[in-house]
Amino acid sequence: MTPMIDVVFLLIIFFLVSSHLARQESQLELALPIALTGQDDIDTETPRLTINVKPDGSLWLAGRPVAKGQLKQRFVDARAKEGDNIEVRIRGSRSAPYSTVEPIMLACTGAKIWNVTYAVYREESR
Amino acid sequence: MKRTSPLVRRGSEIDIDSAMTPMIDVVFLLLVFFVWTASFQIVEQILPSEMSTLVGSAPIDPQEQPEPKDYEDVVVRIGWNGQSPTWRINESSLASLAAVQRQLETISRIQEEAPVILHPDPIVPLGVVIEAYDAAKASGFTLVSFAVNPQGQ
Repeated sequence: MTPMIDVVFLLIIFFLVSSHLARQESQLELALPIALTGQDDIDTETPRLTINVKPDGSLWLAGRPVAKGQLKQRFVDARAKEGDNIEVRIRGSRSAPYSTVEPIMLACTGAKIWNVTYAVYREESR
Repeated sequence: MKRTSPLVRRGSEIDIDSAMTPMIDVVFLLLVFFVWTASFQIVEQILPSEMSTLVGSAPIDPQEQPEPKDYEDVVVRIGWNGQSPTWRINESSLASLAAVQRQLETISRIQEEAPVILHPDPIVPLGVVIEAYDAAKASGFTLVSFAVNPQGQ
């Protein structure tokens, strides 16, 4: 029995590691802003477009850098594909300047996307 | 046919070493499994913004006379002096975010319906802007929006 359990555990660990790495790819490590009025993210049904803002102000969409001039078109395309209730989530580094986040909000209004959320941490944790 | 246990392979003598190895193996695997599944990742939360109500509105025409309202907008201007933020609520300066929150709480007790407009300078870090948004929400205001500069796009 022991070698079989051994192999089964190895398989479990393999799948855990691979799924974790796949998740990491879409979640850039960022020092998010702190907010006390943040809400738990329980809605998994709404289609979502996550945009990452690095501390240097560069914007990353779907794992690739994106120019602020292209944002509106990308949002329009995403809205046409996913529907009107699409959510744009801004995962911005707390040290990124506001001027880099401004074009995202403008592009959202331009693409008529009103469901915009900010990813935050509950309290100082890093 | 009865299988010979590895423990008694060499006659009646129990080989402790060979019996222990698979168990240690499984124990280590279990250890790795639990360490891996223990979540070290900090849980993210979301802060919804009121894009639908105010920021999404058309740009304000300076020539156009706004409709009369029962209350005035609360404009929070956030500046940045290189190291720390500077705060102004409707042109009166305040020393810190705590002072801003106290002021906002006082205003919200009188006119909770008034929209709060956060007007950060372009260089203000996002963390400070979100703290201000959070403070305005925590003060009891329901409408908190961001001012954006259309030239910024």
